[in-house]
Amino acid sequence: MNELAIKDLLYKLADDQLILGHRNSEWTGFGPILEEDIAFSSMAQDKIGHSLAFYTLLHELGEAEPDTVAFTRNANQFHNNQLVELPNGEYDFSLIRHFLYDNAEIIRFEMLSQSSYEPIAKVAMKLKGEVKYHVLHANTWIKNLGTSTEEALIRLQSSLNEALPYALGMFEKSTYEQELINAGVYAGEEAVKSEWLKRIQAVLEKTELRLPDLKSKEPKLGGRYGEHTEHLQPLLDEMAEVFKIDPTAEW
Amino acid sequence: MLKSLDPRVTRLNLPDGEVPPMEEKPELDQFETYEAFHQKKDGAAHTYVGPVHAPNEDVAFLFAKEQYSRRFPCVGLWIARTENIQVTPYGNDGENVYDMLRIEETAEQIEQPEPYEIFHLKKRGKAHTHAGRVMATSYLNALQEAKQAFGEKSPIVNVWVVKSKDVLQSAEDDKDMWTTVPEKKYREAIAYKVMDKITKYKEERKNTPAQ
Repeated sequence: MNELAIKDLLYKLADDQLILGHRNSEWTGFGPILEEDIAFSSMAQDKIGHSLAFYTLLHELGEAEPDTVAFTRNANQFHNNQLVELPNGEYDFSLIRHFLYDNAEIIRFEMLSQSSYEPIAKVAMKLKGEVKYHVLHANTWIKNLGTSTEEALIRLQSSLNEALPYALGMFEKSTYEQELINAGVYAGEEAVKSEWLKRIQAVLEKTELRLPDLKSKEPKLGGRYGEHTEHLQPLLDEMAEVFKIDPTAEW
Repeated sequence: MLKSLDPRVTRLNLPDGEVPPMEEKPELDQFETYEAFHQKKDGAAHTYVGPVHAPNEDVAFLFAKEQYSRRFPCVGLWIARTENIQVTPYGNDGENVYDMLRIEETAEQIEQPEPYEIFHLKKRGKAHTHAGRVMATSYLNALQEAKQAFGEKSPIVNVWVVKSKDVLQSAEDDKDMWTTVPEKKYREAIAYKVMDKITKYKEERKNTPAQ
């Protein structure tokens, strides 16, 4: 197997989880109700844990230490999609992002748990129960709030419209796409996307929310290869602020 | 604007100075309560862990998962709306509450029997634990059936009865949502070895001559 292809895949998996994990953690102490605050914080910890697992695999393939990789790169060296780096906004936006993102992430984990590349398969198999819970959390809220008050519907629908082009950017293809598919690492972005559409549609159908016409939405691509919104660099600076005071400190 | 060491607070662009008082809320303006039961390992009885406030049972499940199953091994979770749980009077420790209940009268058998879950409290201060399931036509009939099935032996100071259809149960397939919980040492204060670090710091200071 081409090691560059595997690293490319690992970087995007790890960076997605790290950046959304950090965004989710920004809700700590600010959640709409205490229980949700705990839930978002808890999922943030899970996601950062997932990024550590993938950075560890990268380290085994010769990349730098996980902390170095997480805290010392600049925005243009990150491979996350642009959806995860957008500011949290209000809770409706964070929930919609969580819903769109985790419904794709669980498909990746399900596929990767069957991967021909064993180290990834092991990690995905072990952690996919956590992502499954994240999906349950997201779907439960979307079903509840998506059938509730007019204000909730307007907020969620407008967040959905706004987030969708970025969500489509999650499926930006790898330079090594065909190679990964041929080697049985996973079924590729197109397959993830079509399964994702089915799953989010099934949830949205139970609500009064509507999925906008996808043809009218231009996917926001580029995140996989270092093109990011203006929001990523400030996030990285803040995330690494303490680390950079003393990179050799033991925690 | 309010400036804080926490950049998230600064970003809220809050006015500096007096905080306007919060709007007063009507009394008891809160979600209703649900009761949560967890299962520690396969085959173990579900045990009561505590209540959550939630708008419905699906959300109660999420909240209970976070509050009651984020630290210790768990393979399953049950949720029941508090209002749907029938509670017997309490006996004293050592007593068997079934003996004190007047449940001997034959209930009228009009309804079709349906399953009920029975929870026993064996000692005051402990947690209610699932004793089993009975088929019955009413809560009272469920107590009669429960007394016969598993109410004869040992002290039982209190019984909870709830219709099985009113219990939201996690699926067998969903056990994997908890598999990694015991590994999450970062959720335990002890994992940070704070006392060790403080002791070490003090030791180091002791050996450094005062400036």
